[in-house]
Formats: sequence, C-alpha cells, structure tokens
Amino acid sequence: MRRAITAALLVGLAAVAAAAHEPGVPPLAFEPPAPGTYTLHRIMTAPDGEVLDLDGRPHRLAEFTHDRITLLALVYATCVDPDGCPRTLPVFDAVRRAVGPGRRAQIRLVTLSFDPERDTPAAMRGYAGRRAEAGGGVPWHFLTTRSTAAVTPLLDGFGQDVRSAVAPGGGRREISHVLKVFLLDPAGRVREIYDATFLHPRTVLNDVETLARER
Amino acid sequence: MRLSRAIALASLGAWLTVIGAGVAAADETCNSPYIAKLIKGQEDYVYVWALGVEGLGDGSDKLVTIDVNPKSKSYGKVLGSVSVGSRGEAHHMGLTDDRRFIWAGGLAEPKIYVFDIASDPAQPRLVQTIGDMADRTGFLGPHTYYALPGRMLVQALSNTKDKGGVTGMALYSNQGQFIAAYPMPTTDGGDGYGYDLAVNPRKNVLLTSSFTGYDNYMRSLGDVVKDAEAMKKFGNTMVAWDLKAMKPKKIFAVPGAPLEIRWSPKAGDNWAITAAALTSKLWLVKEDKGEWQAKEVGTIGEPAKIPLPVDISITRDGKGLWVNTFMDGTTRYFDLSNPEAPRQTYSKVTGKQVNMISQSWDGKRVYITSSLLANWDKAGSDNEQFLRGFRWDGRELKQVFEVDFAKEKLGRAHHMKLGSKSLKS
Repeated sequence: MRRAITAALLVGLAAVAAAAHEPGVPPLAFEPPAPGTYTLHRIMTAPDGEVLDLDGRPHRLAEFTHDRITLLALVYATCVDPDGCPRTLPVFDAVRRAVGPGRRAQIRLVTLSFDPERDTPAAMRGYAGRRAEAGGGVPWHFLTTRSTAAVTPLLDGFGQDVRSAVAPGGGRREISHVLKVFLLDPAGRVREIYDATFLHPRTVLNDVETLARER
Repeated sequence: MRLSRAIALASLGAWLTVIGAGVAAADETCNSPYIAKLIKGQEDYVYVWALGVEGLGDGSDKLVTIDVNPKSKSYGKVLGSVSVGSRGEAHHMGLTDDRRFIWAGGLAEPKIYVFDIASDPAQPRLVQTIGDMADRTGFLGPHTYYALPGRMLVQALSNTKDKGGVTGMALYSNQGQFIAAYPMPTTDGGDGYGYDLAVNPRKNVLLTSSFTGYDNYMRSLGDVVKDAEAMKKFGNTMVAWDLKAMKPKKIFAVPGAPLEIRWSPKAGDNWAITAAALTSKLWLVKEDKGEWQAKEVGTIGEPAKIPLPVDISITRDGKGLWVNTFMDGTTRYFDLSNPEAPRQTYSKVTGKQVNMISQSWDGKRVYITSSLLANWDKAGSDNEQFLRGFRWDGRELKQVFEVDFAKEKLGRAHHMKLGSKSLKS
C-alpha cells in the first residue's frame, strides 16, 4: 500500500515538475502547498440541467460532474482576453498531459459554454478541435446548451456572473465576466474555484492529488 | 438569495471597461482584487452602513443610499435607506466578487446582512440574514467582508466565550452557506486578535491585522484609556497566511493595533501598508530576500497626542495614501512614491471627528464619514454625523456636499461602498 502511494506521489511530482513551465501559462509567483497538506472545503453543490454534447445530443450536466474529479471551465469560444477563457485551454492541456496513468480514470475535463447563441454544438466542435478526441487519456467534454434560458440556471448555480455588451461604435459583442474554473469532487461538490492567478497546472494538479487522496 | 435572471444585454452606456477579465488589479483602489466590476468612471451612489441611534428615526442600523453623481437632480441627497430592524453596532461591509451583493454586519452581534445592489442599484434590498456564525465558529463581531472567488471571507473581532480579542475568520459561500473557520494564531507570537484582511493572490499571501475584543470596543473610549488592563488587550500583530492552504506562515510584531491593510494596486507591486491606531505609525509589509517582513516606515501626526489613525485609502497607482485621524478630525495625504519612506504632503481638518475615507478610482472624489464606534464617538456638538463629499485636484480637498446623518435621522455614518447604475443586472 505504502509503495503504491509512493509511486502515485512520484508520478504526481513528476507531473507537477513537467507542468511548471507551460507555454501560454504565466509562471506561478509562489510555491503552492504540497498535495495533501491542506483541505479543500466543500463550497457548494454543482448545479444540474440540460446540456448538449458536440453532436447536439441532450444530457444532464450531472453526467459530467459526478463519479470523477472534474475540472470544469465556463467559457465562451470567441473570448479573446488572454487572462480569460483562452487561459483554460493550455492549463487543461497541461493537466491532461501531466496526469499519470494511475489517475486518468479518476479525472475528467469539462468546458461548458455560456454563449449558446454563438456556441452551437458545431461551433464548439470547431473550438474543441482534437482536444475532444478521447485518445485513451483524460476525457475532455465540450458542452453547450440550447438557449440562454437553459444556461442561466447553471450560471446562477455556479455563481458565474456574465453580462453581454456591445463595444462602443457597434463592434463585436463581448461578454463581460470574470474567469472561474471549478474543481469538483466525485460527489459533484465544488471544492475549489480558480481565478486567473490560481489557474495553473501546478495548483490544479496539487488539488486533484489532494482530492484523490481523500478516498 | 441568488435570484434567477437572464443575461442582461447591456446598453452602450453600460459598456464596462473590463471585458472577460481575470483578476482585476483592484476595485476603487481598496476592495478585494477578485471583485469584477470596477467603477472607473463617475460613481452614481455611495452606500453608507449606518449605526442606529436610540431615538433617532427607527433607531436601527441601516444601509443608506446617497446620490453622488453631480449630473443628477438629487446630487448629494439621500435616495433611500434599508433598515435591518435592530441595532447591533453596524460597522463594515463588503462586496461579493460579482458585485451583486453587499454583506454587512455589526460588532455587537454575530449577524450578517446581505443586500442585493444589482437588481436596482438605487434601491438596495435586504435579501438574506446569516445568523449562524457564532454557533458555527464561536466568533463574535463580524468586521471585514472580503470577496474570494465564489466565497466571502469574514474576519471577526471577538468571541462569544469571553468577549475578548481572540477570534478568527469564517468562510462562507456567496449563497450564505458556512464553509470553514480559521482561528487566528495564538502560538509562535500570535495574540489571536483580528481586524482586517487583504489578499495578494499573485503571491498567495493573505495578510491580517489585529484590534481588540467586544469588552473594549463596546466600552466608552474614555473608560478604556483609563483602564491599564484594558489597554493591554489590543492587538500587536499582523499575520502572513498561505492563502491557498489558509495556514499562518509568519507572525509580525506590529504594536498598537494595526488596522486597515492596503496592498498597492499597481501591477508588479508586492507590498502592503497599514496604520497602527494607538502608536500612530505606518507599517510596510514587503517581501525581502524571499521572506515577508514588516517594518515601521512613518509617523502620522504627533503620536503623543494619540491622533488615532482609523482608516487609510491607497491610490490606484500605489503612490498616495489618505489617512484619517479620528481625534483631531484630520485628513492627511502621504506621498508613497517611496513606500519605505512615506511623506505627508497635505492635511486638512474635515470634521470634528472623522473615520472612514474612500476614493473614486481616478482619485478625484473623496468621501469621508464620521463615526468610529457608538461608544467611542465624541459627545455634544463634537458628535457630528455625516457623509461629506470632496473634490481632490492634487492640491486641495474641496467639500462639495454633505449629508447630515443626525438631521436626516439616519444614525452614525460609518463604512462606505460605491455603486453605479451600470451595474444593474
């Protein structure tokens, strides 16, 4: 048993080291606490509601928030703020690469759009690209909803405030929000909420490992 | 508490300067860096959390909304107030990270009141009362409400067991559900006291300061000062915490009740400043050789006269600091270009007693209130109760309006937060 834990820890440490300098992710300006040395409290229960996969098939969001440790980002695909939605992609990429074989079956990634008018299933497929392919690694689900009415209760449930606005001069429509990424335990409870400064492969991997050790 | 809502399609006029942003540098210079919506232009409202006074109006604590837009017909006037129906030594308040709610509380009770300021920013509504803090934590007197992503970290001042200064922090979800308690450290030099807290997320540092307990802050100031034992019961520490782990990392000796903590909002700056009330000293907390250090860097007025610095407000560029001293009713400006050596460049008596000071994002408008604590405020004609608005042109503070809280039967004016019509959602 001790050997297994040590092996998992070594894999985790190697993964964290590999994720220390990730392209597209600003370096952390601090040394995060080691996995298992701190508590991730139960902040709230993730909301549930209907979502659509990349083929437009309906699902319950709960299918993607239970039974695994879940890293869930609320985004809109046309966001161009480097400290906003685009930040989630390289971080998730790094997490996906760094998770050792022993943890892959325990973790999933979810990207859920809060801009259903533009982020149709087809648009989300284009946004996801090859990231949506399973490939034997950590699954990454790209989801959207049928309508603003469908996504609003989910946003309320996660506490994600968004506002849609058109730039002065009538330019493109942007969505004002603060980036939030959620770490959920297998029971669907939110255990951490990352802002742009804490959303880094090292902090995420340490938190994932901390949750995994709770079992 | 959270109301179902549709995504608002904002008008051009409501265009926000922060689009899809990550952590903002700061909000009107002194709020949590996690607060999303900066009011970088003209604010429309000042919300004042006022202590009820027996025999004045309904005698209860209340949130007062004042129109502060010079272009408005009701500029400088009270738009309304929301009474909480009881008197509990109203003190401070804080905005949730989405800036849709104000959390406010009193030092005489463990209750926290939640006001919706998003549905109609001109008419806040009391939508929730959180009453489980004492049962959950044993802490009394919620003071600072500091937004974290999706959560509110509440620093208390006292405890229900002996009503002394040993206390802690309580963490709640934005929905008002208790999450965790964090006692202030009482070992390794910690005195267990609390007052303010402030976060530097990029450095993963939470700083806390220390004041005193219910037994002192609910007595008259004159009695406390004459009581040698009571005077020993003030905080003399600050604590640097690992924010991610919520564990104390280092305890600093900062004598004389260090109060408000202000991190420099300037990008790249990694220092904070505070004022110790009883010693009238400015202290700098800064990383030096890989370790956080606290050191005394300046003097406010004449410490022997106990001017009692009670609030500070840092400019958005981190180069200036307003300091209000209660006893002499003076507002001072310090040049912080070198935070290691703050230099007073301006002062003005702005009231017979002054407490909180807040400034607009551009620093051109400054708001001052009068009340410190119900039992510490001055008496007779010195007991002015007001919100005063000032213009600051870099050389002179010019008063532009006043709301007389006694005349309006509103109570004692204490903490302030700014509001905007554009934040309606």
